[in-house]
Amino acid sequence: MATYTERQSGSWLADLVSEHAQVLSIALFFLLCLAFFSAMNPNFLTSGNLLNVVRQAAPILIVAVAMTLVIATSGIDLSVGSMVALINATVAIVIAAGVSWPIAIMLMLLMGALIGGVQGWFISYQGIPAFIVTLAGLSILRGAALFMTEGYSIPIRDAGGFFWLGRGEIVGLPVPALLAVLVAVLGFVVMRRTTYGRQVISVGSNMEAARRVGMPARRVLASVYVVAGIACAVAAILLAARLGSGSSNAAQGFELQVIAAVVLGGTALQGGKASMLGTVLGTMTIAVIGNGLILMHISPFFTQIVTGTIILVAIWMNTRLFDRRWRLGKRKTA
Amino acid sequence: MSAAALAQPHDSAAADVVPILSLHDIHKTFGSHQALRGVDLDIRPGECLGLIGDNAAGKSTLSKVIAGTYVPDEGAIKVDGRPAHYTNPLEARELNIEMVYQDLALCNHIDVVGNLFLGRELKRGPFLDQKRMLAEADRMLAALEIRIPRLTAKVENLSGGQRQAIAIARAASFQPRVLIMDEPTSALAVAEVEAVLELINRVKAKGVAVVLITHRMQDLFRVCDRIAVMYEGTKVAERMIEDTNLQELVDLVVGKGGH
Ligand SMILES: Nc1ncnc2c1ncn2[C@@H]1O[C@H](COP(=O)(O)OP(=O)(O)OP(=O)(O)O)[C@@H](O)[C@H]1O
Ligand SMILES: [Mg+2]
Repeated sequence: MATYTERQSGSWLADLVSEHAQVLSIALFFLLCLAFFSAMNPNFLTSGNLLNVVRQAAPILIVAVAMTLVIATSGIDLSVGSMVALINATVAIVIAAGVSWPIAIMLMLLMGALIGGVQGWFISYQGIPAFIVTLAGLSILRGAALFMTEGYSIPIRDAGGFFWLGRGEIVGLPVPALLAVLVAVLGFVVMRRTTYGRQVISVGSNMEAARRVGMPARRVLASVYVVAGIACAVAAILLAARLGSGSSNAAQGFELQVIAAVVLGGTALQGGKASMLGTVLGTMTIAVIGNGLILMHISPFFTQIVTGTIILVAIWMNTRLFDRRWRLGKRKTA
Repeated sequence: MSAAALAQPHDSAAADVVPILSLHDIHKTFGSHQALRGVDLDIRPGECLGLIGDNAAGKSTLSKVIAGTYVPDEGAIKVDGRPAHYTNPLEARELNIEMVYQDLALCNHIDVVGNLFLGRELKRGPFLDQKRMLAEADRMLAALEIRIPRLTAKVENLSGGQRQAIAIARAASFQPRVLIMDEPTSALAVAEVEAVLELINRVKAKGVAVVLITHRMQDLFRVCDRIAVMYEGTKVAERMIEDTNLQELVDLVVGKGGH
């Protein structure tokens, strides 16, 4: 006679590990990088250097949080580097023209939202692939920045409060880093706990289903580019405040670092998935590698090669390993 | 002669009830392909209408028109006797028209609870109220006798039948007045099909109008009160269930019995 038995459920630990395999593996990779660079250079693990790392990582992290939303909708924003450059130059011009810096900041945030909104409109309401729209944006925005500044760097003078944003410290921690952490926490909460986060994931997972259950699918899709635009404005302001000037040559290769951070963190390019924790770890890994290579006196140009390679390997691992679902050993069946 | 007498055609006894939903001369064209070529259909409260027809007859297209997913090119829709002009699924949902789509319309990357509450998440303040949604989800699924071990599992990891059950539970659980089910039982096992048929009889008793699209003819006789047959984008016949039999329906579907 046949006997009917229930399936035994696997251990919750195995479930947990397989669900968070990507975050765990990037955490491991991050620790390996830390170990490697501290072994190579005794100065790496000094608090001075580490604070420098987080200060430099701040703009990347802020935009990477927004990029996580964009990629979760299965989109991409290639224009972030150019947008940072344009706003970075504009904020210097505006302050040099005598606008008070708090108002200048407001204007820049608005400008970022507006540029993002235009790109989002083309992508969402006109159905042009995000890749094309933001590639055009990459060229147009950098071009506009060069056109406005004619390639010169524009100094910012007499704006103490403004500089504090880039150089200040609160209890020994750099203000930009604290701001970036705040943005990351906000991103985490929004994606995990709010309707908007749920809508972003739904649109990335199955846009038509999102529409059918009554979500404003197109508006949500356009909105992530607005969020990216605002994040770019914040990053541009922090850069200008740290360097005390604005330049159309700021943030070269920035889009690559941001995208590398996000995919390294395990957010899938196919959409429907967002890992804020992964993005934070991905950003820190990218920043640590950049800093570590400089400390080892390796040509800064080499960093670009490494960043590119990381993107390729991360995406390769994403598609090869994780799509087949990571299992820790085989589950025993009764 | 009174105007009211002229306006009310009496073709069957049931026509005395005001239909919840009434479609008139619905046309829908995709490119050059006429998916619907003028369909009239009345759906009455507490009644299950079986919608049958060959593959590509236009059943799904018609039901999507009812659910607001497609806007018809021509034709009029009345809800409770009054003209309705909904142009998207949200507006249809607000009129309590719910649908189980043939492709289920689930988000694979979201967990079971999330899919059940997709588009009407429960909130506490600005945040999702996961706890309350979990509790409610248990109740929603219990009615369908489907076993899903972990409500926080991603939908992509579930079996076809489990996924279908989630789509049915989602449509049936939010007090629909019109419930459209496009082949809801195609992936279900015996016991689960029974549960769905029971569910249909249960909501019917509460006055819900059900539209059931299925290729399982034997099920029609278990729950339906009326059958509409579609052929090549038109409605070719309508039968009260007690006036017809399996053979006649099969003939109508393949186009042999048309009057
Ligand atoms: N979005 C669309 N774009 C183009 N053509 C479509 C679209 N939706 C449906 N059609 C066409 O309309 C016709 C009717 O399709 P429909 O899905 O309504 O058939 P159906 O009766 O539900 O068939 P089945 O029993 O196979 O589900 C088909 O020929 C189909 O190719
Ligand atoms: Mg169909």
